[in-house]
Amino acid sequence: MNKKRTDFAQKLISAPYIVWSAIFIIVPLLMVAYYAFTDKSGAFTLDNISGLSRYAKTFGMSLLYAAEATVISLIIAYPLAYFMSNMKAGAQRMMSMLIMLPMWMNFLIRTYSWITILAKTGIINTLLSKIGIGPVQLINTPGAVVLGMVYNYLPYMVLPIYTVMVKIDKSLLEAADDLGSSPISRLRRVIFPMTVPGIISGITMVFVPSVSTFYISQKLGGGKTMLIGDVIEMQFQSSYNYNLGAAISLVLMVLILISLAVMNRFDDSEEGGILI
Amino acid sequence: MTNENIVELKNITVTFDGEKILDRINLAIKDKEFVTLLGPSGCGKTTTLRVIAGFVSPTEGDILFDGKAVNHLPPHKRQVNTIFQRYALFPHLNVFENIAFGLRVKKVPEAEIKKQVTDMLKLVNLSGYEKRNIAKLSGGQQQRVAIARAIINRPKVLLLDEPLAALDLKLRKDMQVELKNIQKSLGITFIFVTHDQEEALSMSDTVVVMNEGVIQQIGTPQDIYNEPKNAFVADFIGESNILDGVMKEDFLTSFSGREFTCLDSGFARNERVDIVVRPEDVDIVPEKDAMLLGEVTSVTFLGVHYEIIVDIGGFKWMIQTTDEQKVGDKVGLYIEPDAIHVMKKSKYSGMYGDYSTFSDEIEHLSDLEEDEN
Amino acid sequence: MKHISRIYTALVMVFLYAPIAVMVVYSFNASRSTSVFGGFSLKWYAELLNDSSTIEALENTLVLAVLSSLVATVLGTLSAVGIFSMKKKWAKTAAMTVTNIPMMNPDIVTGISLMLLFVFVGQMVGSKNSLGFGTMLIAHITFNLPYVILSVLPKLRQTDHHLAEAAQDLGCTPFMAFFKVILPSIMPGVFSGLMMAFTLSLDDFVISYFTTGPDFQTLPIKIFSMTKRRVTPDMYALSTLIFLSVLLLLILSNVAQARSEKRREGAKA
Repeated sequence: MNKKRTDFAQKLISAPYIVWSAIFIIVPLLMVAYYAFTDKSGAFTLDNISGLSRYAKTFGMSLLYAAEATVISLIIAYPLAYFMSNMKAGAQRMMSMLIMLPMWMNFLIRTYSWITILAKTGIINTLLSKIGIGPVQLINTPGAVVLGMVYNYLPYMVLPIYTVMVKIDKSLLEAADDLGSSPISRLRRVIFPMTVPGIISGITMVFVPSVSTFYISQKLGGGKTMLIGDVIEMQFQSSYNYNLGAAISLVLMVLILISLAVMNRFDDSEEGGILI
Repeated sequence: MTNENIVELKNITVTFDGEKILDRINLAIKDKEFVTLLGPSGCGKTTTLRVIAGFVSPTEGDILFDGKAVNHLPPHKRQVNTIFQRYALFPHLNVFENIAFGLRVKKVPEAEIKKQVTDMLKLVNLSGYEKRNIAKLSGGQQQRVAIARAIINRPKVLLLDEPLAALDLKLRKDMQVELKNIQKSLGITFIFVTHDQEEALSMSDTVVVMNEGVIQQIGTPQDIYNEPKNAFVADFIGESNILDGVMKEDFLTSFSGREFTCLDSGFARNERVDIVVRPEDVDIVPEKDAMLLGEVTSVTFLGVHYEIIVDIGGFKWMIQTTDEQKVGDKVGLYIEPDAIHVMKKSKYSGMYGDYSTFSDEIEHLSDLEEDEN
Repeated sequence: MKHISRIYTALVMVFLYAPIAVMVVYSFNASRSTSVFGGFSLKWYAELLNDSSTIEALENTLVLAVLSSLVATVLGTLSAVGIFSMKKKWAKTAAMTVTNIPMMNPDIVTGISLMLLFVFVGQMVGSKNSLGFGTMLIAHITFNLPYVILSVLPKLRQTDHHLAEAAQDLGCTPFMAFFKVILPSIMPGVFSGLMMAFTLSLDDFVISYFTTGPDFQTLPIKIFSMTKRRVTPDMYALSTLIFLSVLLLLILSNVAQARSEKRREGAKA
C-alpha cells in the first residue's frame, strides 16, 4: 500500500511540468500549424504554404550563409579547441572563461560594434587609408553578415569540441603514438573520430541560430541581405500577416529538423542522444 | 658484445617538480628476455617503462636500443609497443580496427592487414569477434585485444604496464600462462611491470626490484627470493623474519642471543648485519633439540599450513608449519645453516621483519590501497 | 608548435574581443559619434544615470530574470525528479523530447509560437492587448525550464539511489527523505541551473521581442529599439558597465573556487 502511495506521489511530482510543457511548448507549436493553414478569417487554406515559393531564394540564401558560417566556425574552432586541450589546467580554465565571457555581453551591442569596425569611415578603413588603400566596402555585404554569425556563435562551436577533446583519455593518445602514429595521423585516426559528437553539437548550435537570425542581417547586411528570419520578423512586427509568418516558420522548423536528422546520421556513436 | 643487450638504461634520472622519480637507473636487458620491474606503487617502475617507451624523457642519462642512443626519438618511431594498464583500446574502433591500427598507420596493403589481423585474432583466441564493439568485451577479452594490437606490429620489445591488475584472480593466473607462452613462441623481449611478487617470480627470467626510484636488486627469481640483498627486498618478496645480528667470523653469526653456523662469508669481523630467515625454513622441534625457545602468541589456519607467531625474547617470529599449535604453547625452534641468510646493513634495516604488529587485515588493506593507485 | 598555438589563440581572442574593446573605448568618446573618436569624456556615463527609462528597463530586466529563474528552478527541479523516477521508458523519452524542443527550435520560432498562443487566447477573451509582463514571464520560464532540468538530471543520476532508501530505513518519510538527502546531493545541479536560467533570462532578446507589449520594456528590447536608429554612446557606456560587473563576478567566483580547491588539497595533505 505504501509502495502505491509513493508511486502516486512520484507521478504527482511531474504533473505540473507535464501540464506546463503541454500548454506552453506543444500547444504553441500547434498554433503555428493552425495559423499556417488558415487565413485571416480563420478558414482553412493552403495559400500561405503555396505562396512560399516567392521566398525560395531567401530560404536558399539563409541556408547558404548559415552553412558558410558553420563551416568557418568549425575551421576556426577546431584548432583552438585542440590547442586549448593541450594547455596546462590553469590556462585551460582561463581560456574557457575568456571564450564564454563575450557571450555574457548583450549580443545586439556586440553586433552593433562591428559597424564601428567595418564602416566606410570605420577602424579598418581608417587603417587601410593610412597605407593608401581603400576605402573598401565591408559593411552591408553578405560577407559582413557571415562574419557576424561566426563572431556571435563561435563560442558555441569551440566549447562542445573542447569539452569532448579534454575528456579523451591521455593513454589513448599514448597508445596511438606507441603504435607508430605521427602527430598528424594521431589527429586524423584517433582525436578527430573521437570528437565527432562534439563537432555535431557544435554544428547544431551554430547552424540553428545562424539560419534563423534577423538582427545580424539587418545591422551588418544593411537591409540588402534579406534572410528568412527577417521575413518572419516582418510578418509579425510590421506587416502583421501572422498566417504567412507562421507558414514560413513552419517550413523553417521542418528544414532545421531535416538538417539535424541528416547530421545525426554522421554520429554513429552509442550515445547519439546529445540532441534528443 | 653489446649487441646482446637490446635495451640499456644508463644512469637514467627523472625529476618532476624537483622530486626525483628515478635515481640513476642502470639496467641492461637481453634480447628475448622476460624482465619484470617489481615494486610497491610509486617506486618508479612505471616511469622506467615510460622512459623506454618514450613518453617520459629522462632528466639525465641515456636509453640505448641495440647499442644506439634513442633519447630524442619520439614514441612513434621506437621499435617498442606497450600494453597499457587499462588497455587504452580505441572506443571508436571495433576489435578488428583496433588490432589493425598500427598496420594502417604504416599503410600496409588491405589484403595483408586482413590476413595478419585474422591470424592475430586466432592467436589470442578471439576469432569471430572482428566486428565487436570493444565496450561490449569482458576484461579478459579486452586484454587479449590489447595484446594483439601491440604484437601485430612485431615489436622487438613489448612493454606491459600492470596488464593483469584489472582481472580477477582466476583469469589472472590463466593470462600469466598465456602471456608467457606468447613470449616464448614469438621470441620477443617482454618488459613487465607489476606490484604482485608472485606474478613476478612465476613469469620472469629476470626480476628488477625497485623502491623509491632506485633499483634494489636485479636477479633471477630464485636469487631474489633466496639471496635478497637488503631488508626491503627480503620483506617485499615473500614473508621473512628480519633480525639484527652480528657476523662473528666467516660462517658464524649471532642473533636472538646465541650463535648459529651459516653459509655466508666475506664480512668484517663483528660486522653488524641483518639476518633473514624465511617462515617455512624454521622447524618446530622438541625443547631438548631446540636452538631457540619461545611462546606461541597467535595461530592462523591457512589450508596448506598454519601460520603461527612465536615470541622469542620480545621479537615476534612468523613460522609456517603443518603441525597444529595452540596459543600459549612453549615451542622449540631449529634453523638449518642454509636457512640463514646474512645481509649488509642498509637504510631499510630495522624497518621490517618483526611480526609483533602483524595482522592479516592490515596487510589486506594496504593491498587495496595499492590497487587504487 | 608551442608558438603556433600561442599565436593562433591570440588571434582568435583578438577577433572575439575587438568589438568589446571598441565598445569600451567609444563609451568614453567626447563626441556623439560611434565611429569617430573625439577625445575622452565621462559624459555618457552621467547621461546614462539620468535617463530614467534606461534605469526602468534595467529594473524590469532584473525583476523578470529573478522571478522567471526562481520559478523555473523550482518547477524544473521537481520535473527532473519526476522524469528521473518515471518507470516507463516511452514516458521518459516523450518527456525528454518535449524538454528538448525549446533548445532545438530557433529562438524566433519559440518566440512567435508563444506569441500566437497569447494573441489567440487574448482574442478569445476579447482583450485588445494581451502581451506584456505576464506573457513575457511565462515565455522566460518556458525557455529556462529545459536548462534547469538538464543540469539537475545528471546530478540525480550520480546520486546513489540507496541514499533515499537509507534515509527511509532510518525513519524518514519519502517526502522528508527528498528534502533531507536527495535535495542536498543535487544542490550543485540546482544551483547551476538557477544561474544559467538567470543569465539566459537577462540576455534574451529574440523571445522577449515577440512576447512583450509596448508597456513593458527590458534592457535588450530597449537596446534593440535604440539600434534601429542611431546608437548614442550611452548604450556603449551601459554595456561597458554590464561587462565590467560580469567580469568582476566571474573573477570573484573563480577566486573563491580556486581557494576552496586549495583548501581541499590542504585538507588532503
